[in-house]
Amino acid sequence: MSSLLQSLLDPKKSWLASLHMKTLTNRLRKYGLRYDDLYDPYYDLDIKEALNRLPREIVDARNQRLKRAIDLSMKHEYLPEDLQKMQTPFRSYLQEMLALVKKEKEEREALGALPLYQRTIP
Amino acid sequence: MAIRHLLSLARRSHKPSSSFTLVRSSSSRSNAEEFIKPPPPTATIYDRIAHSLKSKLQKLENPDIRFLKYGSPHPTQTPHTHILSRPETKITTLPNGLRVATESASNSRTATVGVWMDAGSRFESDETNGTAHFLERMIFKGTEKRRAKGPEEEIENMGGHLNAYTWREETAYYAKVMGKDVLKAVDILADVLQNSKFEERCISRERGVILRELQAGGHTEEDVFDHLHSTAFQYSPLGRNIHGTCDNIKTISNEHLHHYIQTHYTTPRMVLAASGAVKHEEIVEQAKKLFTKLSSDSTTATQLVAKEPASFTGSEVRIINDYVPLAKFAVAFEATSSTDPDSIALMVMREMLGSWNKNTGGGKHMGSKLVQRVSINGIAESMKAFSTNYKDTGLFGVYAVAKPDCLGDLSFAIMSEMTKLAYRVSEDDVIRARNQLKSSLMLHTDGTTPIAEDIGHQLLTYGRRIPFAELFTRIDAVDASTIKRVANRFLYDRDLAISAIGPIQDLPDYNWFRRRTYWNRY
Repeated sequence: MSSLLQSLLDPKKSWLASLHMKTLTNRLRKYGLRYDDLYDPYYDLDIKEALNRLPREIVDARNQRLKRAIDLSMKHEYLPEDLQKMQTPFRSYLQEMLALVKKEKEEREALGALPLYQRTIP
Repeated sequence: MAIRHLLSLARRSHKPSSSFTLVRSSSSRSNAEEFIKPPPPTATIYDRIAHSLKSKLQKLENPDIRFLKYGSPHPTQTPHTHILSRPETKITTLPNGLRVATESASNSRTATVGVWMDAGSRFESDETNGTAHFLERMIFKGTEKRRAKGPEEEIENMGGHLNAYTWREETAYYAKVMGKDVLKAVDILADVLQNSKFEERCISRERGVILRELQAGGHTEEDVFDHLHSTAFQYSPLGRNIHGTCDNIKTISNEHLHHYIQTHYTTPRMVLAASGAVKHEEIVEQAKKLFTKLSSDSTTATQLVAKEPASFTGSEVRIINDYVPLAKFAVAFEATSSTDPDSIALMVMREMLGSWNKNTGGGKHMGSKLVQRVSINGIAESMKAFSTNYKDTGLFGVYAVAKPDCLGDLSFAIMSEMTKLAYRVSEDDVIRARNQLKSSLMLHTDGTTPIAEDIGHQLLTYGRRIPFAELFTRIDAVDASTIKRVANRFLYDRDLAISAIGPIQDLPDYNWFRRRTYWNRY
């Protein structure tokens, strides 16, 4: 069952999935962003914790990409063509750390301890 | 045809540069653009670091088994028989009632020898309150044989330490010396206890010192506990302040001090305890020779206690002072005497509630739920649970230091965790608390002085030295149902005593605390 789901979602096996990936690549490339830059730390506190654990250079690069994209969006421009060719939107830096943070949170919950952080409704 | 071409393009594996070059090959651009490719993963520093991080995180998937051998998060009950053998404590009772107890450690070259007695501020009267503490200050100031400061100088010439403390039900004078000087230390102690001269100018000088100390203090942890005792045991001897009142201190004289020694420093209520490089027979011989002038009046402390039993009053004392930065408060229930078997269960409950301050190594990951709530939400600077036992009563509660704005949350956390001990107790928590209690008891007695203090204290409270094996068996007999029963006995719907000092405007009132000593959920 899960392997059917995986083959449906795998860009190498499914045409729809690869079309989705291509579309996303084009759109992210225009603003010079990576897919992992779209994960929002205010939305999920696990992402905030994972970003806290990542090395400084990675988080700095992420923030600079986000600033560049915000600037481009405000000016209604896209990234210059030569820079667009150098983009790598699907190079990931966050997924493993996020998986680790979620695994630790589940382990803590399973042992009966209180969670380290909780989402508060503003 | 073109559609099939487009579909095959889409199905090909993702290579943005190649698709671009394919699309743009027809347009007239310079050749240089065809060589612009996305940089490899080793070009930029953040990509390199991300790559090495990925491999490190990959290693976490398969941890080395050697590191997991002792790292189980589930508390287990393990037998401790292999560490429970201790040298035996030898106890001899002399004809005049004095008990001599020693525990020799063959590998140590220093020793602690001291006299522990059942005398303290509890056994004074309202007019003489403060005599015990004053006496402890005066007693090293000169005897008939040794002039002023003689005893202290002699011990320090030997390279030892002389120390004393007065507590509510216990007073101790002890010296830490090299093994070869033990008999001289016993001589000095005997001299100091029996032949002290209290000269007038020493008395007046010490009076000034104590009065100045009383005026200077006010906001320490000790003060919170002093206020707690004075309100919990009001109108009863345990409520008296150890230092005494200012008026009493001004009127204490030579006769008061000598009278106190005559009535309360009696041999049946004393224990001469020694540990380290000591030989039992030698100490017994010295004691027989030297401790002759003390009265051997056989009124025991228990009889004195029965004449004036302590009574607990549910009450509070709050001293508001907005000029200090932190609020300190203690909440306590009445507990039981040290000879009651439930005192062990209270010790386990104290470990279950735990203690924490901002320097604790465990931090937010400690076992106790109360500690987790306090540390994760940052509502206290430090907190600790305490359980003290006296001869006929005791106190069990929590002491906390916090900033003034989080006192409401902190009180809620403390009261809900304490009341929870009567309702929901998990076996894991009890096992963890038991193991922590056992290890803290053993870790505490790790030098000659703590061992001597332990001997003196146990002989005075229990009449015998409880061997560790028996103590551990008693601790292991406490399980979840015992905790619930003991919590129902001492915590469920019982009056409590509160004492608070500092900026405590937001600390909830007494009725709030008293309402939260029970739940309506069942």
